[in-house]
Amino acid sequence: MSLAAEAFVSQIAAAEPWPEKATLYQPLKEDQILLSDSASSLAVQTFLRMCGLPVQVSCCANAEYMSPSGKVPFIHVGNQVVSELGPIVQFIKAKGHSLSDGLDDVQRAEMKAYMELVNNMLLTAELYIQWCDDYTATEISRPRYSSPYSWPLNHILAYQKQWEVRRKMNAIGWSGKNLEQVYEDVSQCCQALSQRLGTQPYFFNKQPTELDALVFGHLFTILTTQLTNDELAEKVKSYTNLLSFCHRIEQTYFKEHDRESQSGSSRHSKGSLP
Amino acid sequence: MGTVHARSLDPLPMQGPELGVQADDMDLGEPEHEEKQEVLENKDVVVQHVHIDGLGRTKEDILTYEIADVFRAKSLIDVMKKSHEARQRLLRMGIFRHVEVVIDTAEGANALPNGLDVTFEVKELRRMTGSYNTMVGNNEGSMVLGLKLPNVFGRAEKLTFQFSYGTKETSYGLSFFKPQPGHFERNFSINLYKVTGQFPWSSLRETDRGVSTEFSFPIWRTNHTLKWEGVWRELGCLARTASFAVREESGQSLKSSLSHAMVIDTRNSTILPRKGALLKINQELAGYTGGDVSFLREDFEIQLNKTLFWDSVLSTSLWGGMLLPLGDKPSCIADRFYLGGPTSVRGFSMYSIGPQSEGDYLGGEAYWAGGLHLYTPLPFRPGRGGFGDLFRTHFFLNAGNLCNLNYGEGPRAHLSKLAECIRWSYGAGIVLRLGNIARLELNYCIPMGVQSGDRICDGVQFGAGIRFL
Repeated sequence: MSLAAEAFVSQIAAAEPWPEKATLYQPLKEDQILLSDSASSLAVQTFLRMCGLPVQVSCCANAEYMSPSGKVPFIHVGNQVVSELGPIVQFIKAKGHSLSDGLDDVQRAEMKAYMELVNNMLLTAELYIQWCDDYTATEISRPRYSSPYSWPLNHILAYQKQWEVRRKMNAIGWSGKNLEQVYEDVSQCCQALSQRLGTQPYFFNKQPTELDALVFGHLFTILTTQLTNDELAEKVKSYTNLLSFCHRIEQTYFKEHDRESQSGSSRHSKGSLP
Repeated sequence: MGTVHARSLDPLPMQGPELGVQADDMDLGEPEHEEKQEVLENKDVVVQHVHIDGLGRTKEDILTYEIADVFRAKSLIDVMKKSHEARQRLLRMGIFRHVEVVIDTAEGANALPNGLDVTFEVKELRRMTGSYNTMVGNNEGSMVLGLKLPNVFGRAEKLTFQFSYGTKETSYGLSFFKPQPGHFERNFSINLYKVTGQFPWSSLRETDRGVSTEFSFPIWRTNHTLKWEGVWRELGCLARTASFAVREESGQSLKSSLSHAMVIDTRNSTILPRKGALLKINQELAGYTGGDVSFLREDFEIQLNKTLFWDSVLSTSLWGGMLLPLGDKPSCIADRFYLGGPTSVRGFSMYSIGPQSEGDYLGGEAYWAGGLHLYTPLPFRPGRGGFGDLFRTHFFLNAGNLCNLNYGEGPRAHLSKLAECIRWSYGAGIVLRLGNIARLELNYCIPMGVQSGDRICDGVQFGAGIRFL
């Protein structure tokens, strides 16, 4: 479809109200999903809860291939399929719900900058640890990623994904780093976030924004996911205001709908916050 | 027939010095000439030697089976017939460019007076032949490289390789074929391939990378093929506007299946046969040798042809099939059957019959399709004896139905489901035969029994293909 036609269709879609059966798709929670995807998915779920929009979470082994951009999570709303937090925020805004309306231009620019920081630092660090660290890749990432498939397809897909991520790390210059440097980068990122948060309940004023959803998604997942060692979680835990930030958001948005929320148990996740 | 120096199979006067008849004898008067003819026909001969000249890399042991029959010939006519048959058998192995037969009197120390020597003069195919084409079509250009190595190790093995590099897709195929020495119809082949396909009627893109091995063997009058195939299938949406049902099918899967096919073909030609019948039954069981998909698939094809008065041919055909998913996963869109189009039920758009979602056709798990055709030569027979013979007019009646097997009720319910809401069409058109492989059709179709969701193509429809209903 041409750009004009796409814009037209999304305008039409924007006019429709939020349906009852909106669904969010992610990889299988128990066996397949990895840290980075889990963090992205939690960020989107948090954002939707903050907007007060109900969504069902559906786990599919082929969620990554179903997604129009190849990345999870994606939401299926009416006739539209939108993936990744950025486009989803835009899509929700077109429907008339927005968390960042109260911000002025300077704050909005600042919010975008911090979101970029999280994406470039935290998300990349998560990908590095999962796929470029041999021990983690062998013990956790490859077996989990390929669990829905049978031999020999599981090995082929796991190695294909690993090569793809390593090529990307090469392209952005992270392949020269070692694990210690990556942990350092995570620490610095957390420090910047911690400084910005200070003693406020949320990053901007008293209202949560998409930045809060994104930071919560990543930090909560890091804290509750079992990796080969606990060093990543320790780096985050050393900033107490971030820890209480995560607690607060979990209490506000997730404890009320406690049946099958993110605090549910899974082999990979350690359950609720320590 | 080829060059056989014994001239012809008819009992005509044999001429020429090769047959041991002196030229002087032939110049005698008529009566003696007649006598000589009869003598030659009834003369007992013994084939003493059969030579094959011109062998390079071909091993002799496989050829002895093909020419063994020639030794059993008892009379001259028999020798000619059997050498002709042996020549056909040598040519069908696909290792010789041409074969010539020379029948001569036996020479040498132990030559009998009625002994004959038969010599096959052969020319082998080149070790490697290649081809290079460029193809342009449908917003895509591609370069196709083909390599063929006939008779690789000397026993009629064949290795073929084809590689297609295009602006959108790349595909390749490598195939190794080996017949059993002495029984060319028993053979096995191993194939390695990557194929990509785009299916706009389902908004689906499929990439298959696979390996397969198959054994073929004849039993009495039927031909059987046993095949194991392992395919890595990648499905994706062709466009951003694909329906969600197709989007849900995207992903990777591995299919490992065993299949058996039986073919009985008594037709005189594959395209536009005048007489004979075809029966093909195919079954495939997937999932018990590994892989992610698990199903049992059956399909059959029947065709009957009969020549009627005035050079016209009546042809009926029936296709049907069923896909039964085993286990709890539903069937995959790439395994299901599709119906409709210029090569099956004419008058409908390509594969545009049956279950669909937002305009994307999802295929069905059970189907049947039937056709009744009357082929006649072109009216007024233009170009008779030449180009005009490639054309035929035909009048057709096609019908078919497609559905899914998810009603949870017994087979009776499925049969009645297939019997209601039948799509059918009738019309007339012109058929052009391309070699012995393909045909083109231009038809005027009137579709009937159209259900909501089907896409029709009433009026003029063009079709090209190798397998038509």
